[in-house]
Amino acid sequence: MSLKSKIIFLVCFVGLGIALNFFLNSYIQALAISFMINSIMAMSLNFITGVANQFSLGSAGFVAVGAYTSAVLTKEVFNDQWYFIPLTALIGACVAAFAGYLVSLPSFKLKGDYLAIVTLGFAEIVRVIFLNWNHVGGPRGYNAIVKWPNFTMAYLFTGAAVLITLYVLYSLKISWFGRNLWALNEDEIAAEVMGTPIAKNKRTAFLISSFFGGLAGGFYAHNMGYISPGSFGFLLSVQVLIITVLGGLGSISGSIIASIILTVLPELLRSLPTKVDVRMIVFPILLILMMIVRPEGLFGKKEIWTFFKKEGGS
Amino acid sequence: MIKSILSLKNVNLSFGGIKAVQDVSFEIHENELLGLIGPNGAGKTTVFNIISGFYKADTGSIDLGDVCLLKLAPDQVNKVGIARTFQNIRLFGNLSVVENVIFALQQKIDHSWFHSLFRTKKYLDIEATLRTRALSLLKIFSLDQLADTPSKSLPYGLQRKLEIVRALASDPKLLILDEPAAGMNHSETEDLKKLIQFIKTEFKLTVLLIEHDMKLVMNICDRIVVLNRGEKIAEGIPAEIKANKQVIEAYLGKRS
Ligand SMILES: Nc1ncnc2c1ncn2[C@@H]1O[C@H](COP(=O)(O)OP(=O)(O)O)[C@@H](O)[C@H]1O
Ligand SMILES: [Mg+2]
Repeated sequence: MSLKSKIIFLVCFVGLGIALNFFLNSYIQALAISFMINSIMAMSLNFITGVANQFSLGSAGFVAVGAYTSAVLTKEVFNDQWYFIPLTALIGACVAAFAGYLVSLPSFKLKGDYLAIVTLGFAEIVRVIFLNWNHVGGPRGYNAIVKWPNFTMAYLFTGAAVLITLYVLYSLKISWFGRNLWALNEDEIAAEVMGTPIAKNKRTAFLISSFFGGLAGGFYAHNMGYISPGSFGFLLSVQVLIITVLGGLGSISGSIIASIILTVLPELLRSLPTKVDVRMIVFPILLILMMIVRPEGLFGKKEIWTFFKKEGGS
Repeated sequence: MIKSILSLKNVNLSFGGIKAVQDVSFEIHENELLGLIGPNGAGKTTVFNIISGFYKADTGSIDLGDVCLLKLAPDQVNKVGIARTFQNIRLFGNLSVVENVIFALQQKIDHSWFHSLFRTKKYLDIEATLRTRALSLLKIFSLDQLADTPSKSLPYGLQRKLEIVRALASDPKLLILDEPAAGMNHSETEDLKKLIQFIKTEFKLTVLLIEHDMKLVMNICDRIVVLNRGEKIAEGIPAEIKANKQVIEAYLGKRS
């Protein structure tokens, strides 16, 4: 992007935040923020599962670590000052990255799909720890977390987090590191013989992914104002996985589009005047349809902007 | 004076009950083309896998100059100067021809995360240089026209060639080729022969070559090591090997 288009983009981004504060009702505003947080989670998973091709089922675990770290820090260290939220979310992301590092140590020693099992176990362990940790509320959850003062702030900071996540993960995807990961999932043996340490590359990818999972957690906690172990169950990991698959494994920007769809759709369905929860029927059907019609997801491995212009780049 | 670049001493490896490699010792001299031959199942590929770090020898030693290879992982073996190809071609199929080569080249570079993340001029320059270097290497082997095609869509012979170019890109001292002529027709084999000789002189390389095609081996190798049932049964210049009774027996079966 040229400098001029960067400035225009920035002005639109900020202007939209101020304008929407007046024009949207609070329900739609909440939905918009929740879509942004979902898209960070999905991009995070997409980096490890889409770009690095390592199947993870533990998104919820990293989100939980980030959420609790960030919430506790804002309350107990920074006296509920909302402008510390970006900082505590960042610290939460680092703690999640460290957790990711620990998880990655045993996961990539052996070849094969051990990661799915290890991450699944990790997320469950995290949930059980918070469930039994009375200082952070145990099963009752952690309450009265400070929230953003208004929609504009929530929008600007969460939106910035989305853009940063997109930028970082996309830059890495098209960098030498992305090329390492790509070669590695084309042929591990050949990649290793050409001088790439396989486990080290996978670990690094996993650490990066965990970082952004944790970041999403921090924003989640301060958007909801309340978190409990129940918010970070297996269902959350599955939801994030569905978003990622819908957008296209390997398409970072695709995860954002899929987040919009899968955040808005359930709300539309919720308003249908039926007794049963239609979402439970529509989602599986949607998934099955996609597997048949477009198994590579909406965008495959490609980024959205490659569909608009000949050569890529941001 | 003859200088040895790689030496194997009393290397042994069994898989369960099968002694795949038994007490094998040989040396590769600097700048020579050494052929490793033997009937199917003789243990040739296994020797390659031990050298390149995929299998750990039960006993014995392997040294590249002063570097002991026994404890090194495959990526480290590459770093100390050995590159290889595979009996079944292993390209990165969905990566383009040039990216296969860039991948090999970029392993030699200390990338900075900072520069890659912010896509600084320095980073973009490095990327551009890598591409230029890859293209000029491909040009030597007349593959530059195909630079941006996915490598899996190359014809078989060219895939073999690209695999060799990719190995060369990691700038090895020793290049080891596992049956590069496998599946090739007569004229492709002729081309391959020229290619190997060309690389050896042009890149001042030492080459270890596993080959089934006797004519090819006898034609181009400086010396030959013969394996049979995991054991070394002969070693010498092509003329000696041709005349060796044990070798003839191993290939044609014992006459009763
Ligand atoms: N990973 C392995 N596990 C068990 N046996 C193996 C393995 N690799 C090779 N072998 C056995 O070792 C012997 C030598 O095989 P190989 O080195 O591939 O022979 P060559 O390349 O000379 O045709 C064969 O009997 C083969 O079955
Ligand atoms: Mg073999």
